[in-house]
Amino acid sequence: MSHEYIPEIATDRDGNEHEVQGWQDDFYGGKLGFWLFMFTEVLMFGAMFMVLAYYNALHPQDFLDASATLNRLLGGINTVILLVSALTMGLGLLKMRVGDVKGAKLMIWATILLAIAFLVIKGFEWTAEYNHGIFLMHDQLLAESSLPFGQKLFFGMYFTMTGLHGFHIIIGIGLMLWLLKRINAEKVTPEHHILYWNIALYWDIVHLIWVFVFPYYYMLGAGGVTGGH
Amino acid sequence: MDTNTIDYKKERLKYYKVLIGLLLLTAVTFVQPHMFMTESNFLAQMFIAVVKAWLIIMFYMHLRGDKLITWMGAFSLFIVFTFFAIVIGVDIQNFQFKDESHITTPITPTEGHIPTVKTAH
Repeated sequence: MSHEYIPEIATDRDGNEHEVQGWQDDFYGGKLGFWLFMFTEVLMFGAMFMVLAYYNALHPQDFLDASATLNRLLGGINTVILLVSALTMGLGLLKMRVGDVKGAKLMIWATILLAIAFLVIKGFEWTAEYNHGIFLMHDQLLAESSLPFGQKLFFGMYFTMTGLHGFHIIIGIGLMLWLLKRINAEKVTPEHHILYWNIALYWDIVHLIWVFVFPYYYMLGAGGVTGGH
Repeated sequence: MDTNTIDYKKERLKYYKVLIGLLLLTAVTFVQPHMFMTESNFLAQMFIAVVKAWLIIMFYMHLRGDKLITWMGAFSLFIVFTFFAIVIGVDIQNFQFKDESHITTPITPTEGHIPTVKTAH
């Protein structure tokens, strides 16, 4: 569906006509608005990290013990996957800006594949934990289980935060598919790429959140440390 | 309005340099607990994460040179710090129901007994 652009005209007190600036071209406004949205994301995850820090302060040894049981290899692979996906998304945006639309689309597909790989690995991790009885409202995390209380808090927060992060990854994949559709419809072009810019920003904040999630959960109990934090 | 007058090769090189920096920092994340600051593992890990975050924000999210959004971010952090860390922090320090709360006083299940929740008055 295409629409012919009809400029809106405003007339001043002397009868002179002026074309009203279309908001569609307000690149900085679009970027600023998206940053405001991202601050709400930071607030949400920031609050979760503060809860985590509070629980950690109450049960330091339980947190170290629980962290030591997580699979650091899989967590590390996922860290690298997200890192490379941030690069592919950024390079795709660069390609779009210089007019290489085909290259930009390839980079979006590469990012989508990396995002799926991240989810698959996360799925393996969660499955292994579930098989050990560690999952929300399941076996070890129930009130009557003998698992130390601090570890229950740790794993409760772990599943909540990595689950919410994974949900953001799924939304990101949806946004990238939508972006591809918009590029194919020539609604996103080298001249009008604010949507691409903002989805790349979204992907960066998803990566940014993981930059803190990974060390807090996976590395806290690494190296056999005993409460030295 | 953003312009497309960018030097593609120069920008791409910047992306690769940041990627190498992030990969190196990720490697440091893995070796740190075994090599240095082993007694301050948490602080070391968070410091590395902050450096990684700075690289991502400045170069991948293009915040370098964008004063308005940088100040917005600084202001948001100030608000978060003020309200969460100080106000709620003081509130937590003076928590009235420490003895009744699951979190501050965990219940210890005994064999054959399912603990009940105490009601705070």
